[in-house]
Amino acid sequence: MSGTVTAVRAAAPAPGRRGPRRRGAALPPPTVVLSLIVLAVVVAWSLAPGLFTGQDPVAGVTSQKLLGPSAAHWFGTDHLGRDVFARVVHGTASSVSSALVAVVIGVVVGGAVGLLAGFLGGLVDVVLARVVDVLLAIPSFLLAVIVVSSLGFRTINAAVATGVSAVAVFARVMRSEVIRTRRSVFVEASFLQGGSRTHVLLRHVLPNASRTVLALAVLQFGLSILVIAGLAFLGYGDPPPASDWGLLVSAGKDYPTAPWLVYAPAAVTIATVLSVNRTSRWLRGTG
Amino acid sequence: MDRGYLGFAARRVGQALVVVLLAYVVTFVVISVLPGDPVTNTLRNPENGFTEADVARIVAYYGLDQPVLVQLWESLSRFATGDLGVSLRSNLPVSQTIGDVLGSTAVLAAAALAVAVALAVLIAFGTQYLPVRAQGVLRALPSLFLSVPNFVIGLVLIHVFALQLGLFRVIYPDSAWATSFAALALGIPVSAQLAEVLTAGLDHESRQEYASVARSRGLGRTRLLLRHLLRPSSLPVVTVLALTVGELLGGALITETIFGRTGIGSLVESSVTTQDLPVLQAVVSLAAVVFVVVNLVADLVHPLLDPRVRKPPTRPSAEREVLAQEVSTP
Repeated sequence: MSGTVTAVRAAAPAPGRRGPRRRGAALPPPTVVLSLIVLAVVVAWSLAPGLFTGQDPVAGVTSQKLLGPSAAHWFGTDHLGRDVFARVVHGTASSVSSALVAVVIGVVVGGAVGLLAGFLGGLVDVVLARVVDVLLAIPSFLLAVIVVSSLGFRTINAAVATGVSAVAVFARVMRSEVIRTRRSVFVEASFLQGGSRTHVLLRHVLPNASRTVLALAVLQFGLSILVIAGLAFLGYGDPPPASDWGLLVSAGKDYPTAPWLVYAPAAVTIATVLSVNRTSRWLRGTG
Repeated sequence: MDRGYLGFAARRVGQALVVVLLAYVVTFVVISVLPGDPVTNTLRNPENGFTEADVARIVAYYGLDQPVLVQLWESLSRFATGDLGVSLRSNLPVSQTIGDVLGSTAVLAAAALAVAVALAVLIAFGTQYLPVRAQGVLRALPSLFLSVPNFVIGLVLIHVFALQLGLFRVIYPDSAWATSFAALALGIPVSAQLAEVLTAGLDHESRQEYASVARSRGLGRTRLLLRHLLRPSSLPVVTVLALTVGELLGGALITETIFGRTGIGSLVESSVTTQDLPVLQAVVSLAAVVFVVVNLVADLVHPLLDPRVRKPPTRPSAEREVLAQEVSTP
């Protein structure tokens, strides 16, 4: 979905302010603190959903269907009388961890491609650069859709598909970072001192490139949550009674008289992605 | 038009052709990894009413009984001559199936692009006019836009403007109002990137010496903005604009499904459900063609617009990226 450009551009560190701020400096800005709290809650929901809601996410009480938000049901209930809050909380693990899987695939595969292309250069670079161009040419959401449709409609496949569609972005950023580092004087010095290619790669090039790539990874994590929610919304993830956030919104849209079915999971998704993006910006040291 | 530029253009066109053909191959590979067998799933499905003779004809046409590499070669040569095959679902030529819905998506995408540009200009200009303290909200908008799933934007618009205010009827998705709101849903996420790049560009340019000089000469804010700052700031916007084409096509999938429009996006959605592989293959490859052509044009036009890059670099897209980075992250 949204992405390539902002991701690539945003990952570029501001000159002179690389990486996180100095430790021991003032507290992070209030919005960052808030974002970190939101993320902590989301992580807790995905690790131990049972601690946050006593209600069953799958079995409902039909006599209590389509109730608005109340003290008993924070996010109301759906058409089968299931507690929406419980469904959101229990859907967190799958919505968030699949985004994590996607990012890991993107970082590992894309990073490796970019590293090889940038470090070896020459013919390898030319060939890999074309491959990346090809992956970039296919709209990433469309690519994710055809990959998930050929792997089968499961959430884990949606995660893999999202990861595949992010490979090109990571490859591109990693390549440019590696080339930048390779040209620097300390890398030259390391070669002159008799450092082997592997040594230079692991000791100098990789650590320097990784900072930018990690900042991009955080940004891509938020993006992946959105893409996976989109795939789940179209029904390309696990079928109900799974309760991925995108799937909840999709099921809720058929009940216009019960808008909380859409707004509650949507709000949770937005809050999560917003927090991820804010944190990413803070980590890059640009605000 | 010097020789250097022509050489650069020729090289760039050649690259674009290679990318398009490879995109076709990648799509083919992804689709043919499919565990399901399209022949049994779709063709022999009694609902579709193909006779055994029809099935045999289609199987022979696509060479589905041949090894994958042979299938790829034949499919690729048909694509190269402009033959997109036959839909497994409707038995119509794919080019006709796509042609029928292309107009609707083109209208939607154009409207969405207009919305995106308008929003981006509003946000970016707003940051230049407002006092620093009041800019916070405007500057936060793009990152908010980027955090909202596009299907949520569509659903909220439908809920508020169709169901509550009754501004348009959901059952007439092609009406002017419905199209406008669909364009809004599709355009908002796209506007975020444009706004970020344009704002960063204007910020950067307004700190340059020539801007101070112009200000000290007593040039008004609007004149300064329009006559001096806008032009250099809009170059990276053109680059980003070309890159968002893919995003519009991907987003159309969700927007068209939500608003009940028939278009390329909903065609993909239904082809995925019915496993109509020739249609999927064609749409994805055509999306790649559109993306490549638009970016090719952007690349070719860029050296003509910007005197700073008039000496064509060897890897033009990389250079443009560097330029975009410099301008946007001052």
